[in-house]
Amino acid sequence: MTDQSRVRVLSVEVEDGTNTLTKVSGLIRRKGFHVRAISVGPSRVPGRFRMTLAIDAGHAEVDQVRKQLERLVEVISVEDLTDDAVHNRELVVATVAASEVAGLIKRGAKVLGAGPEGTTIEFTGDAGEVGGFINELASHGIVDVVRSGPVVMRRTA
Amino acid sequence: MVLEALEREGVEFIFGYPGGANLPIYQHLPKYKKLRHILVRHEQGAAHMADGYARACGKPGVVFATSGPGALNLVTGLCTAYMDSVPMIAITGQVVSTQLGRDAFQESDVIGATSSVTKHSYLVTKIEQLPRVIHEAFHIATTGRPGPVLIDICKDVQQAIAEPVIPEPIDLPGYQLNGHVHLSDARKAAEALAVAERPVILAGHGVLLSHAENQLLELAEKAAAPVGTTLLGIGAFPVNHPLALHMTGFMGTGWNLKAVQNSDLLMMVGMRVDDRVTAKLAEFAPKVKTFIHIDIDGSEMGKNVRPDIELVADAKQAIEAMLPHVGKLDEGRGKWLSQIDAWREEHPLRYTHSNGHLQPQDVLVDMYKRCRSEAVVVADVGQNQIWAALWWNYDKPGLFINSGGAGTMGFALPAAIGAKFGRPELPVWCVAGEGGFVMTAQELSVAVEHQLDIKIVLLNNFSLGMVRQFQDDFYGGVRSQVALTHMPDFVKLADAYGLPSRRVDSLAEVGPAMDEAERTKGPFLLDFHIDPEANVYPIVPLGKGLNDFWEHPEID
Repeated sequence: MTDQSRVRVLSVEVEDGTNTLTKVSGLIRRKGFHVRAISVGPSRVPGRFRMTLAIDAGHAEVDQVRKQLERLVEVISVEDLTDDAVHNRELVVATVAASEVAGLIKRGAKVLGAGPEGTTIEFTGDAGEVGGFINELASHGIVDVVRSGPVVMRRTA
Repeated sequence: MVLEALEREGVEFIFGYPGGANLPIYQHLPKYKKLRHILVRHEQGAAHMADGYARACGKPGVVFATSGPGALNLVTGLCTAYMDSVPMIAITGQVVSTQLGRDAFQESDVIGATSSVTKHSYLVTKIEQLPRVIHEAFHIATTGRPGPVLIDICKDVQQAIAEPVIPEPIDLPGYQLNGHVHLSDARKAAEALAVAERPVILAGHGVLLSHAENQLLELAEKAAAPVGTTLLGIGAFPVNHPLALHMTGFMGTGWNLKAVQNSDLLMMVGMRVDDRVTAKLAEFAPKVKTFIHIDIDGSEMGKNVRPDIELVADAKQAIEAMLPHVGKLDEGRGKWLSQIDAWREEHPLRYTHSNGHLQPQDVLVDMYKRCRSEAVVVADVGQNQIWAALWWNYDKPGLFINSGGAGTMGFALPAAIGAKFGRPELPVWCVAGEGGFVMTAQELSVAVEHQLDIKIVLLNNFSLGMVRQFQDDFYGGVRSQVALTHMPDFVKLADAYGLPSRRVDSLAEVGPAMDEAERTKGPFLLDFHIDPEANVYPIVPLGKGLNDFWEHPEID
């Protein structure tokens, strides 16, 4: 089990370069950190990407994760959101038997499409809600399921 | 275009080796008269030469290598420079950009292989990138906490013709030099230092890199605080000063370790506080109430020891910010300094002549007399390095060069060559064991070719001395693979390379041999056959705390 007090949630703005992901992941491995969750996408600024990372600091001081990332030239800024009030959203896409769909829609799922193998739905929520949703799916017989990493934004006041 | 850019950056020397993937650069090299290229015999030698050059004169060292094995041979040298924060630019040839990823001849993922041992790296696949990349590389290598930067340039880019471009001003949003400076606690640090009862200052390589030696001396005298140095910090504080504690760490002086372990305030300046400094971390400086840490790299704060007061800045800037705030000193200070004097008396550096062999210290004491605090001394790694560090006697900040962080055997000879190119006006002494020496001995050719005035002091004990000592003391006395038999006759080896040399077996011959070496212009090799059982003392047994240091067992 991960000791949650060792995990930092960071929003990292990086350069869009061929070596950026390697540099970030290489640093994490080298320093004995461990990625618990990751998502990457373009940021508002052209040429820059936003990475959302949940990283276990291993045996280091937890703040080392931020400090070490800041040393990389490819990293433009690091925001530590661990102890802040945030919107933390994850996405799950699953294909389930058509008979199950009505109940899941009631929980907030949206239908993406249907076919002979089943109906494909999506659901978003925080990590707990998405985890709970997937657990429920499991008891109904899932055909397939994929889950994203988190995207996190600080709550406005 | 590469060479033009290097001229623009003020490069004087390139240490390099040509090959298939950097031929276009070499084709144009003879036209660039301001760039002096030193042809090495192995790329690792080039990296260490550039390293020694940079450490000696402060300018970034420049290295050329070809793709694949050429570039990979640089890895150890890059790591050595990276661990010790030495500015370096490595320019490697890469296969044609359209061949990347196809396992072309002599292709290797140089960026991937060197990412963890460089401060930054670039793969250049388009000519337009080149002026900006080279300009940025020099900026990154030489500013903040210095380090090596690698530029991997595809062969087609080297061949491309483009209008020379004056690089635009540097815009690196992810490289903010002053963004992390934190000096607001300078006053607090100065006050804590003044009121501490038993303060100790430790100085590392950062003090030398920022040329803060005078500021450190002023602070130490103002605060009447004793100063020790790390292995890489040697030269940051005059070792004969009444406040000097000399070298700290697990092979540091007894009086230094006593002071560190009994201090109530420890101020660590420009250092990483690594395991060689702390020994067993849980037992490091147990009586300290206030740790002050000064470093230019904020990630050093709390990486190994959690400071109570942290100043993130260049050492000179930080000490200057503290100086005006050192107020009235604690009344117990005189007592603390007398206690340290007593420890200095009690635990001096000593050695014996009990077995009739030539002792390494005999050689080094004689050598340092001749250095007169003015020569560059480059040490290799192992016992020779620690002896050279401990018997260092400079009365002013000086140049002691060695591979501290990486501990790279074979560093000394090429680094001494680089140092001589960097500081041609100074004598250069190269201290090495025979084990490390043969790892890069091929670079003797370079010393001979350029008739470099380097005196090589080989402390030849017919074994891997440090490993042998560790096996004797900490690994059950089992001597395993440490006897270096079938080594060359070093006098004949020197002759084969074309440099004069002399073998020395006894104390009486040391002086005359050194005289001959000093009289001889150009390189000279001295093969000192020293006591094969000579050990480094003091030493803290592996895994123990600094309190548990051992002194020379034959002296009580």
